[in-house]
Amino acid sequence: MSEMKKIKNLKEFSTSADRFEGANLLCPGCAHSIIVREVLNATNDDLVLSASTGCLEVCTAVYPYTSWDASWIHIGFENGSTAVAGAEAMYNALKNKGRLKQPDRNPKFISFAGDGASYDIGFQWISGCMERGHNMMHVVLDNEVYANTGGQRSSSTPIGSSATTSPAGRVSYGEKKNKKDMVAIMASHGIPYSAQVAPNKWKDMVKKIQYGMQVEGPVFINAVSPCTTEWKFDPKDTMMLTDLSTDSLVFPLYEIIDGHELNITYRPKNVVPVEEYLAAQGRFKHLFKDQYKHMIKEWQDRVDANWDYLNRREEARV
Amino acid sequence: MANKGWDEFEIGAMLRTFEGEAGNIAGTLQEDRKYTENSSFSASVADWRLEKPIFAKDYCIDCQFCWIYCPDMSIIARDKKMIGIDMDHCKGCAICVEVCPTNPKSLLMFPEQADEETELARWPEKESKEK
Amino acid sequence: MAFDKMELRDIEVWDGNFAAAQALRQCQIDVVAAYPITPSTPIVEGYAKFLADNYVEGEFVMVESEHAAMSGCIGAAAAGGRVATATSSQGFALMVETLYQASGMRLPIVLNVVNRALAAPLNVNGDHSDMYLGRDSGWIQFDAYSPQGAYDLNFIAFRVAEDHDVRLPAMVHQDGFMTSHTAQGVHTLTDDVAYSFVGDFKPMNDMLDFEHPVTHGVQTEEDWHFEHKARQHNDMMTKVMPKIQAAFDDFEKLTGRKYNIVERYDMDDADVAVVCMGTSVETAREVATEMREKGIKAGVVGIRVVRPFPFFEIAEALKGVKAIAALDRSAPGGAPGMLFNELAGCLFNQAERPLLSGYVYGLGGRDLTKKHLVDLYTELQKNVDAGKVTTQLQQFIGVRGPKLAFL
Repeated sequence: MSEMKKIKNLKEFSTSADRFEGANLLCPGCAHSIIVREVLNATNDDLVLSASTGCLEVCTAVYPYTSWDASWIHIGFENGSTAVAGAEAMYNALKNKGRLKQPDRNPKFISFAGDGASYDIGFQWISGCMERGHNMMHVVLDNEVYANTGGQRSSSTPIGSSATTSPAGRVSYGEKKNKKDMVAIMASHGIPYSAQVAPNKWKDMVKKIQYGMQVEGPVFINAVSPCTTEWKFDPKDTMMLTDLSTDSLVFPLYEIIDGHELNITYRPKNVVPVEEYLAAQGRFKHLFKDQYKHMIKEWQDRVDANWDYLNRREEARV
Repeated sequence: MANKGWDEFEIGAMLRTFEGEAGNIAGTLQEDRKYTENSSFSASVADWRLEKPIFAKDYCIDCQFCWIYCPDMSIIARDKKMIGIDMDHCKGCAICVEVCPTNPKSLLMFPEQADEETELARWPEKESKEK
Repeated sequence: MAFDKMELRDIEVWDGNFAAAQALRQCQIDVVAAYPITPSTPIVEGYAKFLADNYVEGEFVMVESEHAAMSGCIGAAAAGGRVATATSSQGFALMVETLYQASGMRLPIVLNVVNRALAAPLNVNGDHSDMYLGRDSGWIQFDAYSPQGAYDLNFIAFRVAEDHDVRLPAMVHQDGFMTSHTAQGVHTLTDDVAYSFVGDFKPMNDMLDFEHPVTHGVQTEEDWHFEHKARQHNDMMTKVMPKIQAAFDDFEKLTGRKYNIVERYDMDDADVAVVCMGTSVETAREVATEMREKGIKAGVVGIRVVRPFPFFEIAEALKGVKAIAALDRSAPGGAPGMLFNELAGCLFNQAERPLLSGYVYGLGGRDLTKKHLVDLYTELQKNVDAGKVTTQLQQFIGVRGPKLAFL
């Protein structure tokens, strides 16, 4: 196995040569790009990448331009993960048969997909990849809606959020269902590593990505990706929103090793009230009306309960 | 590239990022790579901007927050120092300004037509913290 | 070689499924991504057993659905190696979107389709509805009439699909149960001869060549899409048939078995002809000979290459024929059958237009009997004698209940 790139601090990290290019079609301030950069810069190894249909794919591979500096494939919406799994199988086949063109290089196989592609339409495909044990990593760019098509709800859309197919209105507070816990679901496949990351805590993310790249077997990463367009905030505030998401514990940062050992990897010095997180986003602004205000306390209770659950699991070493 | 006919490109709409052999891309700085006209690196989104960042090097502490949080690879860092902005690829999102920790900030947004020299000359003073 | 070769007898008794599995073994596939579905399952089971007994190297990925099977094949093909899989019916329908993606991305993959009816109602038996569903998918498509064909056409398929001037995926069809589960004597090739006919896989635009990173599967909108699809169609229409013919010629030199783009049987002076696919071709040939003894000059045209559609080759084969029957083994869904329509297309502008009628038969594994074909040829002769089609243009044969005819 190749040596993992050593990244002591941000100055050292800044010597990375990005393998993702600008002048793509992503919105100004898009967190997807920040996440992709942190993932790709975590290694100097060769990369075989895929993206499922969605913002990342649509904005970085519109003929005649590609923003990718490594081999990359898009097939469709469901099957980005399986595309990389097929490539990984071919790598193993050619390795065993002595037909690799550059046999001394150790590529990393990474598929990127949105929450829509991962939690919903591509769920089975990812589950299959995790179950079969491919040596690959699936990274979810979680902006909690089908952003590329205008913000329809997915099973990642959190309760009370106004999405175009679960809009807030005179008699509705928007999305009625709680968000699905994909990190736990994927961990239940018994994969070596399943984790939640956020681009603001770059050191935590890079550490987890490197661990995932080194471990043998399938890895699932859920990355919170605050979406200026669909969460409705100013593009310049992307990192501020990400800070609010991690520091309010709405997006706790943790990892599950081998499906049965949970570690919390970030404990905010000052925990921020969930209300502040909700107040910063247009998609929740209706929750501040008298009619729906009770949802804010519900949110805080749920986040507290989830944080308590994670702490109990960590303590019990399960 | 524009308006090529059906017989004038690679089959399968396949695209190549680099001319010839790529070598060790992760170990090659952008300015040393041989991009094709199909890499978006060769394109520009400067016309997306309404505002642009201006960099006041004197105040910069090379923390690299701007480098890591720029979505568009437009903060140019070399030898652990922030040396400038890639104005072809900057979309003017202003994240770099928001995350800059210095006082006064080393990066601020100005209208696209602003003159860099003029703005640097009248850069805002250090903000006093309210007790 | 890290795997064992197999000593085959000159003639082995194999069903169509096992014949296909053996062909895949001899081609030494790099990645098979597959999902089981009746009646194609034994192909992947056979292949799995070869792997377990060290007769093949390569990766065998047992995925969680047929859509994932083709998706995995596409990822593997784009990575750069020899790829194959097998499916039928519902599985074929499930992977339909990926079929278009594979051909659009110009990736060589060989898919064995064991033709089975499409639900509803649910049916596991043989008809051509799955084949018809994939007709516009942009794949090269061969049709086997027997286990021998299921074996031989796989070698042809790899040869043609992987050619750098072609780079299009290919299907090998065979009738579900009627071919796939019926054992016949199959003339074999030795492992070495079979592999050298197909040759080593030569990569092109491969993702695993790290010195030349490549982007596969881009988006094209109204400013580029038409050109890309036009290019794909152009290559299908101009590059493929010559390569198929060359492969057929080489195969004949090697084995003595001659495949043709259109299989003509007793057509030189035929007055009446049946055009069909699958196991019906051989049944029709027997009946045509019997009709000759009764004084009816009957012939049979079998479609060997379904796509690219052999437009001129079929018209040529049917020259001088006075009455033609197009036999479609798929539920027509409110229109004449696909074969009827495509024949009408290639015959319409002929100076001397023959009489053309259509028959829908054998759905869901219902037998096409010799008696059906005797009656059919007799009807065709009646058409010739009357100078016009004496029946309705679409007739269902072999179905219980009142006579069913349309158009």
